Amino acid sequence: MAEVRALLDILFKGCVLLIAFLALVPVLHLTLAAIVNGGPVIASAGLKFFTEVPPPPGNRTYGILTSLIGTIELALLSTLVGVPISFMAAVLVVEFPHSRLGRIVRLLSRTLLELPTILIGMFVFTIIVVPLGSPSILAASIALALVMLPYVTTYIETALSSVPRTYREAGLALGMTKARVAFTIVVPIAVRGVVTGILVGLAKAMGETAPLLFTLGRARTSLNVDPLGPGDAIPLLIYDYAQAPYENLREVAWGATLVLITLFLLVYVLARLTIRGVRV
Amino acid sequence: MGGSYALLVEGLKVWYGRRQVLRGISFKLPPSSILAVMGPSGSGKSTLLRAINRLLDYVPDARVEGRVEVFGLDVYRENPYRVRRLVGMVFQTPNPFPHMSIYDNVAVGPRLHGLAKSRDELDRIVEWALKAAMLWDEVKDRLHEPPTKLSGGQQQRLSLARALALKPSILLLDEPTANIDPTNARRLEESIRRVAVEDGVTVVMVTHTPQQALRISDYVAFIYEGKLVEFGRTREVALNPSHKLTAMYFRGEL
Amino acid sequence: MPPRSVPREDRLFYFSLVPFAYIIIAALLLLALSITWKALPALEAYGIDLFLRNVWAPREDSPGDYGLLAAIYGTLVSAFIAVVLALPLSVSLAIAVEELAPKPLRGAIAFLNDVAAGFPTIAFGLWGVEYLVPFLRDYVMRPLYSSIGFLPTFSCEPLSGASLLAAGTLLAFMVTPFMTALIREAYASVPFHLREAAASVSSAWYQEVLLVLGMIKPAIVAALLLGYGRAAGETVAVSLVVGNSFNVSLCLFAPSYTVSALIANQFGNATYYPLMPEVLFAGGVFLFVIGLVINWMGVRMIERVRWVG
Repeated sequence: MAEVRALLDILFKGCVLLIAFLALVPVLHLTLAAIVNGGPVIASAGLKFFTEVPPPPGNRTYGILTSLIGTIELALLSTLVGVPISFMAAVLVVEFPHSRLGRIVRLLSRTLLELPTILIGMFVFTIIVVPLGSPSILAASIALALVMLPYVTTYIETALSSVPRTYREAGLALGMTKARVAFTIVVPIAVRGVVTGILVGLAKAMGETAPLLFTLGRARTSLNVDPLGPGDAIPLLIYDYAQAPYENLREVAWGATLVLITLFLLVYVLARLTIRGVRV
Repeated sequence: MGGSYALLVEGLKVWYGRRQVLRGISFKLPPSSILAVMGPSGSGKSTLLRAINRLLDYVPDARVEGRVEVFGLDVYRENPYRVRRLVGMVFQTPNPFPHMSIYDNVAVGPRLHGLAKSRDELDRIVEWALKAAMLWDEVKDRLHEPPTKLSGGQQQRLSLARALALKPSILLLDEPTANIDPTNARRLEESIRRVAVEDGVTVVMVTHTPQQALRISDYVAFIYEGKLVEFGRTREVALNPSHKLTAMYFRGEL
Repeated sequence: MPPRSVPREDRLFYFSLVPFAYIIIAALLLLALSITWKALPALEAYGIDLFLRNVWAPREDSPGDYGLLAAIYGTLVSAFIAVVLALPLSVSLAIAVEELAPKPLRGAIAFLNDVAAGFPTIAFGLWGVEYLVPFLRDYVMRPLYSSIGFLPTFSCEPLSGASLLAAGTLLAFMVTPFMTALIREAYASVPFHLREAAASVSSAWYQEVLLVLGMIKPAIVAALLLGYGRAAGETVAVSLVVGNSFNVSLCLFAPSYTVSALIANQFGNATYYPLMPEVLFAGGVFLFVIGLVINWMGVRMIERVRWVG
């Protein structure tokens, strides 16, 4: 009997490890594929991959200048729009947890986390793109800011509420107002979690495609940085070129994927490593 | 009304939701005296402290009835921030702010209320507070290091210095020695005794041992199940407790 | 706000935060309202049939004939395939990280998993087109079709490989890290005394693990729900591998459609066709409703994992 159990143990362990390994294979293989396919493309184009606009179909030149600049601009603008709102809303949820507004925002931000992002694209198309008459970098930034909102709010909220209650009491006992306690005691103690939340939101916004489909336009062959004009973004370029029947565009798509993954990982590693938090 | 008293508590009742934790507490405490609040755990001692400086405002569902006066100031009619400016507090767990240096932890209160007009003056206040907490010699060479490097007992004395730097009229202490070693505990007791005698600070201290109450207090209050069953001068109560619960507590039977 | 004696400073603080909270609430309300409002003409024109029929006959001069059934069917089935495949993957990965991985590796795998959970979905899409679809076609679909093709689910000949199965599989890989994170968190939160209790009544390690899994059942159900919600709403990666064809077929190898893929493909040019935008907004309402309901249930489930004592 004991032998049977030992055997079952080994069998179970083996299965778990095998399936767990299988679960990690896709993301590893996909990263590897991006390096193997995208690496040579970028290497052969050299710096031009980042300084030239995408090639015409069939032509063997490469470049993603417009979408690279677009992705960076979108990331900055959407962070600028989204983070202050998320931050202040999170402070409200944590500092006034029993107010009705606090409860509503808490529930909403959690429920909105997994709202299909294509809906946000349709929404921004309806209320911004149509009235303005054309897609724009601004409209797309607002769409991405809406994607970020629930993530960043929930992250910051979790970080702030993990600060032990005793520090709040200590601040209040010194005669600090609630606001001062929140901004000079609670936020600095939780700074690592707050910054991580912002960076995770940024990474999420940077990798999104669906909210951009109808809001950004595809200003791919000439560079525009005016927020009111149309722009391009790396995920959008990959989406279009993945469906293109031209070999060279697919190669550009792989190069762009490698760039996107690199940017994405960079933000994550930044979130993980560079912020030295306060140990409580 | 209670102008001659440092602290006046009258008919104080506190509920958490439907549960009543304080069932009508009344006492008066003269200035510069030390009151030790005793009682079994869960009897409402910490709640009493938090009712005095209105930290209960931030406990959801907490409801307060009755009257508290600090040097004649009606706590529940006054702006709580003005009250807390006069009432310092030290907590059960040492809690210096981990993101500030040792110096800034002590300076934060004086800065907040504009007590120092110059850098020199601030330095003097910080030095005085750290000396009063008997911590100065141990930290004077590393004032700009984070407090997390200090031992638990040192952190607790830093918390005391932070509270003293505001020169409070009343100091509330919630079992301040419960989580630190005996040597540090003794030093803390000595500092408390000294600020009461030398600086005229009135002290309300929740304590978990009758011995500590006997060592440092002028008055004792004994709380049992939310009621004040005994209040009086320490020596008199210790020698001749009027209530059998107090006697049992002093004998260590509760 | 407590009514009594809230100091002026705190009121000011509260009211200075209120606008930001309202922005979040207003965004959701406006989103729901604008999508519903835009969908109304289509609902009026086609009634409930819009969701029950499978037709896609656009016309430029007059309202065409539309029914979203194929896309709805594809959405529900592909998300179902995704969570069915992702469940064993994520439970195993959670156990492996929490129980089997050497301590120093744990943090690294957990980090890798968190990274994977937020990975740009479009990268999965490109990978799906170039690697997963051909692989599934040659090594899964064709063998199954030629060996047990008499089963209705395997009964059609795979052509390009873009199909419900491909979409479901890709989605499974995409939601696995996300579901793993939820399960792992719950697994790690089981208090020590309950672990001990599990160990004391088990005579083998696998029994102990199964007991702990039983304790976090609500979290596993929550992971299934939230994973399903995420899979049902995913857009670009799916649209690259699902085949984009209006099919309602039991066969998993047939190209199909999902609501979000349909919107992604048609919405840009829909204004040329009377009522087509409204029909797509109705699809949006469908996504919104199932997204909201499933998330709400999932969030409630997670909150049921509480430890007493």
